[in-house]
Amino acid sequence: MKGNRIYEDLFPIIRRANGILFLLKIIFIFLILSFWKVQILDHEKYWQRSEANRIREIALPSHRGLILDRNGKILADNRGSFKVSLIRENCKDLDKSCRRVARLLKMDEAVLKERIKKYESLPLFKPIVVKENLSLEDVIRIEARKLEFPELILQTEPKRFYPFGNLAAHVVGYIQELSPQDIEKGLYEKKRLGDLVGRTGVEKEFEPVLAGRDGKLLEVVDSLGRAKGEVSKQEPGKGKDLTLTLDFDLQKKAEELLEGKEGAVIVLDPRTGEILALASYPTYDPNRFINRFTSEEWIGIVNSPVFPLENRAIRGLYSPGSIFKLTMALGALDLGLINDRTTFFCSGTIRIYGQTFSCMAKSGHGSMNLYSGIRNSCNIFFYQLGKMMDIERISYYAEMLGFGKKTGVDLIGEKEGLVPNPAWKEKVKNEPWQPGETISVSIGQGPLLVTPIQVAVQTALIANRGRSIIPHLVKSGSREKEGSGSQAFGSESEQVKIDPSNFEKVIRGMWEGVNNEGTGRAAKVDQFDVCGKTGSTQLMSQEKIDQIRGMGKEIKTHSWFTGFAPKDHPQVVVTVLVEYGGMGGATAAPIARQLFELYRENNGRQKSSGQY
Amino acid sequence: MVDRNLLGNIDWTLIFLLLLNSFVGVIFIYSCSHYSPGNFYLKQILWIILSLVVLFLFLLFDYKVLVTYSFYFYFVIICILGGVLIFGRFLRGAKSWIVFPFFHAQPSEIAKIILILLLAFVFSEFKTERLSWGKGALSAGVVALPFILVALQPDLGTALSYLPIFLASTILAGLNKKTVIFLLIISLILGLFAWNFVLRDYQKKRLTTLIFPGQDPLGSSYHVTQSKIAIGSGGLLGKGYKKGTQSQLRFLPARHTDFIFSVIGEEFGFLGVTLALFLYFIFLLRLFKSVGQSRDRAGVYIVFMVAMMIVFQFLVNVMMVIGFFPVTGIPLPFYSYGGSSLLTNYLGISLVLNVKMRRFVNV
Repeated sequence: MKGNRIYEDLFPIIRRANGILFLLKIIFIFLILSFWKVQILDHEKYWQRSEANRIREIALPSHRGLILDRNGKILADNRGSFKVSLIRENCKDLDKSCRRVARLLKMDEAVLKERIKKYESLPLFKPIVVKENLSLEDVIRIEARKLEFPELILQTEPKRFYPFGNLAAHVVGYIQELSPQDIEKGLYEKKRLGDLVGRTGVEKEFEPVLAGRDGKLLEVVDSLGRAKGEVSKQEPGKGKDLTLTLDFDLQKKAEELLEGKEGAVIVLDPRTGEILALASYPTYDPNRFINRFTSEEWIGIVNSPVFPLENRAIRGLYSPGSIFKLTMALGALDLGLINDRTTFFCSGTIRIYGQTFSCMAKSGHGSMNLYSGIRNSCNIFFYQLGKMMDIERISYYAEMLGFGKKTGVDLIGEKEGLVPNPAWKEKVKNEPWQPGETISVSIGQGPLLVTPIQVAVQTALIANRGRSIIPHLVKSGSREKEGSGSQAFGSESEQVKIDPSNFEKVIRGMWEGVNNEGTGRAAKVDQFDVCGKTGSTQLMSQEKIDQIRGMGKEIKTHSWFTGFAPKDHPQVVVTVLVEYGGMGGATAAPIARQLFELYRENNGRQKSSGQY
Repeated sequence: MVDRNLLGNIDWTLIFLLLLNSFVGVIFIYSCSHYSPGNFYLKQILWIILSLVVLFLFLLFDYKVLVTYSFYFYFVIICILGGVLIFGRFLRGAKSWIVFPFFHAQPSEIAKIILILLLAFVFSEFKTERLSWGKGALSAGVVALPFILVALQPDLGTALSYLPIFLASTILAGLNKKTVIFLLIISLILGLFAWNFVLRDYQKKRLTTLIFPGQDPLGSSYHVTQSKIAIGSGGLLGKGYKKGTQSQLRFLPARHTDFIFSVIGEEFGFLGVTLALFLYFIFLLRLFKSVGQSRDRAGVYIVFMVAMMIVFQFLVNVMMVIGFFPVTGIPLPFYSYGGSSLLTNYLGISLVLNVKMRRFVNV
């Protein structure tokens, strides 16, 4: 250090200073390495987080497609409504925020907190809907204090509305808010929390068609959640309207007729498989499900002993009872075991396989042939057929004619029913098949289970003289290929391998049953040649009997009627089931008659206007 | 009073490096605050000019004189600190500000310079190889008094920045290894004591945040998380000047003050950070190289203590922005917006220049 005049020996202290400098150099290298790690190695991670930080995605909900009846009557509509959501990311202090928001929205703080807790698992930047169906007053209050509440966003939302409430509720279905669990499962990929999705019925089956495409708005926001401008906006695509095959008048009538009962009605067009009415009772008002209704109400509906949510028409499993005699008759005719001249004598009881079986008519029907057997629903006649056919061949024909498998109706949750055979019993109950069971099955009792829609479809098949149909609710024109999970319908029908003349014979029996003082006489309609079959089924299990007794109900049989009209060129099939309705002829048949009458009336009017 | 000879001995390179770093700071203060009211960059420029004037004025006094009267300065500043504690009003959570009509001043900042002078005075005639207990205790006491007063404000960050000054003086005086270990044990005990009886909740939270930053992204670790996002998202080249989303969209808190370095990291990336660190390093190197260039022992102490004062703030700040150190509220010297800190550091540099330019003067 030449030229530096140092008067003292400062060398040791300078050495110490240099030691510190050396340390500093090492620290600098360490600093650079740290920045290397954060900026280069972890760059991707932080880059994404910074993007998420600044861009807020707001879903612009699409208008759900309307659901219309076959004549364009709106069954499911949309109405505008306001909702307000909370974005936790924008809260400086969640607790404090909850308190303020609860006061602003005039809602219970505990309820608000619970709701936020429910959606805790979601990313912080996702909005949580805290209140919907806002009153105008609410909207104004929120809007006015927007700057004080950066955590709230106010949005309009097209909201589902079912103008006729209960009407066709089981067909139309309802929509509900997505739960966090659903989102985690990834069931609805394009959906967000708080979105409403179809939960059942057509709303669910055709969700992709109806839902449309949600638009989204990407906006740049600052850390206070204030929008700084749009990045991009994708307008929502409106969902497609869905025209159902339902006929409003028939549907309404069917539900009126079922009121106060538990049961199902199906009206369909046997030519196409179009379902004109599908009613299940008791029912519910789907409008209730769209709101974030109180949980007690929901639990009340779910736990109701009469299961209003259950669509009995496609999910109710019942013994077919005497309805099954049609299957028996067709099978026996096809096998050549009988013809229309074969007779059996009914004395009221019969002993088969060492057991005594009885007919409904205690004193006996006397000599019965095919027509009078069907007309009077004589058990003895069909016991004989059952004994001749045996269970394997009975189940073969039952399946051929549509039992034990889904009909393919375009509704979620259809059940298959059960066609028993010895192999089934061996497998499920681990017991051998008892010959006596065959006799029970031959009059539609025993383990045999069918759904009302299966009965309706079978009736259509008989009406069509062997041509089967697939029932459907959505008109072919309005169905989208992309949207539908179910396969072909309607037009693709097949002919069962039974000679049409055998169908004519069974149909004659059905015609007599209605028009010639048979069991179905209550379904008779003047000049409309109704052909039908009644059924009354015993209840199945002791468990169920106890349950019904517990409810204080009288134990009655289920009441069936299924039929079509007119005889020669069938246009309409009506199937009615009333639980605990008593005799089929007494309860179900009159309901069917009124539906046939209404159909005829409306159809006649259409015809005359067409001619005009 | 100042002859031409002295003027010629001024370390213009150091002043150049000082201004260079200061203006880099202004550039980024502008970037991250031009959209908000306050004109911080303009105020910072004014502060730089003012500080520069003060720096030159301060050169007029021989550091030897300042050291001689340092005890009186010390007495005054202790009174002010005590007064602030009693009469001061709360500003940003601490009673560290004296409110003047046009600006607020932090006496705790100026106290650093006075501490440096007083410690230089204490050790000016100390020529033993090893630090004696007596001197050690004396210097510790000298630092402890303002430390406690400032910590009570409560402004632990500033109080902590007195420690490197103390440490610098004892290192030069010949602190032996045993003493270092002893001090470490003492500080551990003090730390435990402080954790349980002294530290406020927000300070504890800051410390826990340092250890578990991901736990509570909106709470106390929010600062660190946002800062790391800013730096990390900058990548190699950065997002471009005034294009850093973290800083422009206000996600980054205290961006023009404590987190100014994060803005550099975000807008100019790793390259910018390296360059800034390099600039800073050259500056610090110049300071360290000045340590020996003094006519007496007091001068050596002064230069070294100033260097340590700045190094400490720099390290704490830079380590804070990438999450290695708790958020203490210590600004980055010369870069961060803030008059008191700027003035203090300029005064420190002024002392260094003072010592250097008078190294040939015969007393």
